[in-house]
Amino acid sequence: MSEHASSPRYRVGIDVGGTFTDFVLAERNSGRLAYHKEPSAPKDPAGAVLSGMRALIAREAIPPGAVELVVHGTTLALNATIQRRGARAALVVSAGNRDVLEIARCRMPSSYDFRAGKEEPLVPRTRVFEIAARIAADGTVTAHPDATEIARVADAVGEADVAAVAVVLLNAPAAPAFEAEVAARIAARLDGIAVVASTEVWPEIREYERAVAATLNATIEPLMARYLESLETRLAGDGIDAPIYITASNGGTLSLATARARPIESMLSGPAAGVAAATRVAREIGAALPRGVLSFDMGGTSSDIALSLDGEPDYTNRTHVGGLPLMMPVVAVSAIGAGGGSIGWIDAQGVLKVGPDSAGADPGPIAYRRGGTHPTVTDCYLTLGILAPDRFLGGAQWLDRDAAVDALAALAGRIGITGEDAAARVAESALLVASTNMATEMLKTLAQNGVDPGELALMPFGGAGPTHAFLLAEEVGIDTLVIPAAAGTFCALGGLMTDVKRDFVRSLRRPFGRGDDGPAWAGFEALKAEALAFVAGEGEILTGHHLGHAADMRYAGQGFDLAISIPAEVVRARDAAVVAELFHREHERTYGFRDLDSGLEITTLRVRVTGTVPPIALPELPGAAGDAPSPGTRPVFLHGSWQSVPLYRRGDLLAGHRLAGPAVVEQPDTTVFILPGWEAVADARGNLIARRGGPEEILA
Amino acid sequence: MTRFDPILLEILGNKLRAVTEEMGHALQRTGRTLYVKETADFGTALADIGGRFFAYPRAIGVSGFIDLDCGATIRAAGAVEPGDVLITNHPYLSEGLATHAPDAHLLKPYFYEGEIVCFGWSFVHLSDMGGRVPSSISPTNAELFQEGLFIPPLKLLERGAWNEDVVAFIAANCRTPRDNMGDLRAMLAALNVGERRVAAVIARHGIEAFRDARTSLMDYAAAKARAVLRQIPDGRYHFVDYMDDDLVSPWPVRLEVTMTAEDGRIHLDFTGSDPQVEAAFNVPTLGKRHAWLTVRLIAFIMTLDPTTPMNAGMFEPITVTVPKGTILNPEAPAAVGVRHATAVRVNDLVNGVLGQALPEVMPAASGGAMVPIVFAADVPETGETRVAVVEPMVGGTGARRGHDGVDGRDSSLSNLANNPVETVETQVAVTILEYGLRPDSGGAGEWRGGVGVRLVFRVEAETGRVLGRGMERFRFRPWGTQGGRPGAPMRVILNEGTPGERELGRIDVLPVTRGDVVTVLMPGGGGYGDPLARDPAAVLADVAAGTVSAAAAQEDYGVVVRCGAVDEVATTARRAASARERAAADGSTGTGEARATWDAAFPGELLREANLALLAQPASARQRRRRDFYATAVPGLAEGGFRHVLRDPDAVRARAAAALEALHRSR
Repeated sequence: MSEHASSPRYRVGIDVGGTFTDFVLAERNSGRLAYHKEPSAPKDPAGAVLSGMRALIAREAIPPGAVELVVHGTTLALNATIQRRGARAALVVSAGNRDVLEIARCRMPSSYDFRAGKEEPLVPRTRVFEIAARIAADGTVTAHPDATEIARVADAVGEADVAAVAVVLLNAPAAPAFEAEVAARIAARLDGIAVVASTEVWPEIREYERAVAATLNATIEPLMARYLESLETRLAGDGIDAPIYITASNGGTLSLATARARPIESMLSGPAAGVAAATRVAREIGAALPRGVLSFDMGGTSSDIALSLDGEPDYTNRTHVGGLPLMMPVVAVSAIGAGGGSIGWIDAQGVLKVGPDSAGADPGPIAYRRGGTHPTVTDCYLTLGILAPDRFLGGAQWLDRDAAVDALAALAGRIGITGEDAAARVAESALLVASTNMATEMLKTLAQNGVDPGELALMPFGGAGPTHAFLLAEEVGIDTLVIPAAAGTFCALGGLMTDVKRDFVRSLRRPFGRGDDGPAWAGFEALKAEALAFVAGEGEILTGHHLGHAADMRYAGQGFDLAISIPAEVVRARDAAVVAELFHREHERTYGFRDLDSGLEITTLRVRVTGTVPPIALPELPGAAGDAPSPGTRPVFLHGSWQSVPLYRRGDLLAGHRLAGPAVVEQPDTTVFILPGWEAVADARGNLIARRGGPEEILA
Repeated sequence: MTRFDPILLEILGNKLRAVTEEMGHALQRTGRTLYVKETADFGTALADIGGRFFAYPRAIGVSGFIDLDCGATIRAAGAVEPGDVLITNHPYLSEGLATHAPDAHLLKPYFYEGEIVCFGWSFVHLSDMGGRVPSSISPTNAELFQEGLFIPPLKLLERGAWNEDVVAFIAANCRTPRDNMGDLRAMLAALNVGERRVAAVIARHGIEAFRDARTSLMDYAAAKARAVLRQIPDGRYHFVDYMDDDLVSPWPVRLEVTMTAEDGRIHLDFTGSDPQVEAAFNVPTLGKRHAWLTVRLIAFIMTLDPTTPMNAGMFEPITVTVPKGTILNPEAPAAVGVRHATAVRVNDLVNGVLGQALPEVMPAASGGAMVPIVFAADVPETGETRVAVVEPMVGGTGARRGHDGVDGRDSSLSNLANNPVETVETQVAVTILEYGLRPDSGGAGEWRGGVGVRLVFRVEAETGRVLGRGMERFRFRPWGTQGGRPGAPMRVILNEGTPGERELGRIDVLPVTRGDVVTVLMPGGGGYGDPLARDPAAVLADVAAGTVSAAAAQEDYGVVVRCGAVDEVATTARRAASARERAAADGSTGTGEARATWDAAFPGELLREANLALLAQPASARQRRRRDFYATAVPGLAEGGFRHVLRDPDAVRARAAAALEALHRSR
């Protein structure tokens, strides 16, 4: 790329959401950023990407050839899974295991509701075929299918008229080559139908979760391949032939080729990129912030939160998509219910509720005038004066305040709130109810991680995040807030701030630290080789890479693991004593004691490879001289009365500008509502950093 | 009810529930045993001054304990100070807060300016509390004293300091002191989290609002529950169900309920249920409304109004009568270890009586058995025995109007996860040959009952023993309703399909050797509505999926499937013939043949009278007299086949009447 070093080079981050497709354009070295929002086109998502890209580069006068990198987040795979719109697939399993998807982990989605059914499997029982192929727990093959058996199964699969096939043999992680061989022999009799072995997708012990991974990958692969192909071709048709990367669930990115072959990796594409961006922004701000950041992405239908501690996002190896378990490391994002579209209502006993029903983006809040008939959280913002009818999305969408006020006044009447400000009073109450709902969910996530709100800064983004963040922070007991510059397109920006990342796993399950740990070290070597081979093929843009090692370990006889990360030099030195000490320490930290009598077991080896993408420069705001300019004030209903609240434009703020709450800061993609008792200061990166309390507690 | 601020009520309801959920997460994060981490056999809540839960988690821990009462424990402990923590696992002295030895319950008073504002509660099923067998639970225990160490309500911590005497007693009397202490510490961590969070809520909303919320939240739940319960038409409803036997004697265990509904107030009268048994199936309710009696009502209320706050208020419209000395209100020191097996049947019973009132809402019986299949492998080199769960087994759920039951799942009493086959095979000396659905086990009906689970495994250890506590529904099948047929009964078979095949029936401990193949077949749920009215397309889909065989499609549903399609002409003919045959038969097919046979020999009124007569006997004589009664009425039930012994119902009835006379005379 050195030949381009003299002329400006650009990167574009794209995030496809339900309502809007967001774009962030970054000039790699100058720190210049530009933003764009394009209405999403659910029927032709690539179309919206293309038209938005055209609009953006035309507006910014950029030649298509100057784009050096496109990073794209998409919820295509997730939505297809939730709606079970994936390809028609077959599943081939070891004899006796036909009902692996039906029985699943045996649990029902609801403990109480006897009307609730179980989750719909990705492959129905009619297309699950048993084969006489079996591996024992120690990896010995105990049943080899002969040619007749392969033919019988392949023909049955052929008659099922499927687009994809997954093969899941019991204990395959102990003999992956045998499973691959069975898959290949079946494939040889099926003309052109892709047959994938479960261990190629995710070679970890737990046959149900692995079967879900394999069938997920198989069912969404055709869909993703078509989409990514169309995207690549159409962008190239416009002269944009830059490499395309897809954001992955683990907060990294993957080349187009990898994302096509392994669509399962991009299942939680968008939200993970937002968390990656939040982590990066917090790292840049540095020591001025508490040790943790809680990212808060509030959109129209729901809100997501995720935790980063000490500069690293919190990962989980167990999450759910569309009612199905996903067994691979992903950024731990939790949904906490309410979004801007959540509906306020009164129950039969006269109690005010918010959600769980949502008007979503369509028909949306009453104020959108698209047929919504129930007052939503967004209607509350508008009624209270937090949002202005003519300035929503930079004026792109006019809001009908009168309709919102009428609906809320009617709601107020039903719980005996009357008088001139009835609508505003019930709106303020509804926001409080919504905030406490979200706060309670947030506190549970913190409890699961053993983290106290006092250790955290809240970083809101998404269309409604900065509007609701202060209300939420007060309920949770968080005293520091960071509102990043382009909060409304933060996930798109996230794609431009992250590196290529992929995780590799190997189930091991053997004693550790008794002097015969050869297989563990050899396992790490094998994973390392896989990881290096992968990263070498991920494109020329990478300037380097590094590896992270971890192991899931337990005391012998213990029923669950602790994840221990192991420094690379310890792996290189094959130092079992250090690994053992790391485990004892973690156990002591979590459970208060170490158990020197029981031996150790190692169950799973993990290697993560990170391929470095040269970072983009971030904007540098000039320093402020004097107070932040305010174009005026706006009446906002606050704590039971109308107050005149100063108004600011985000674009006017320079480094060092201070804003005391109450204040409203408008920007094209969102509105920031700062509560009384808080003071915010703009930093050189364009972040607004707010603290509860006096100005002496605010960093400069 | 409406005197409380409708906004503050919603806010405090959410916050206080969240406090209990945070407590639960703290407990699960720091607990160290599988009971806590995987099975989630623990609980957290906030109890009011009287000991009733006014805030309870919605989605973590055991869901069914909302109706437990901490009152007796709190009263027994006397004066408390900040930092005190109470402990008990005594079913009788805690008056039914604890219901078997392993369940340790802790209570911590939370203070505000010197006033007790509420109690934090946590419980964990500890791994072992001593007693005759490892894990402390065995169905054949007859007395509490065989079931382990029992701690009356007393202080585990005083002013924040551990009561080392109590700790030493626990450590000296159980097999897993380290695990127990780990879990007790986790419970304590949960109580401390709750204490901080309650203080924060009071700091934000004031003590007045908090005090009001304690009662208002219960009033709110009561109002919601009442609104749901008003859907039950006023009237009296009656239902009887049976457990196969109590494992130590061959006679069925009878459970009976009469429900009276009046304007959303429900009374459940369990009079007519059997006397307590000389095994560990007794449910220590102390004669009060109790969590093990009302768990089905939680599901009923939460299904019909999911916004109901989960607290003790939801049971306010419900009252009970549970005669003393029955299996549902045993007298000390009756053993209680396996009370959940009885609770499963109480669940069916209450489901059944609700179904009498609301047939369009309630489902047929679910599989009605939850059985952890355990393998104890002998390890000759070390002389030890390695005990592990192979799979927790469940049946399917019952069908309801408009919907088939769920195949291979049943969360009606607890929602447990299974074990991956790949994990089992690494840890237990078995090979799993089959773990899947059991075709043709769902009760036939216009809507089909869910099929049960089928497990087949080969023993890979030289010697060992297979155990399965909670095995049920071998004899009395899960009932269908509204013309639906019963689900298939449970079966256990040794070496199926070989010359040495043995139908084992209910097992307590089954000795096995290398190569033995054990098959466990779980019951299916009952069907709903006339099977001949089932849409032939639905039957065809079942046949295609393999949950119903072509033979059963023809036999049970009158649907003839040929070459993957419904033969319309043959189906019409077959259905007409089936309808004629059925008109000729007696038609009592919803509960299955065994139950029909039993009911023919033992009319309900007779057994009800016998049970009342038994309860009038001195407690010490009751079991002997019950044995005498059945030995006279059905001699040889232990040795002979059930059908054979009951083949002449008139004769049985006559003998039973005579035995009842004798019973009356013996007073």
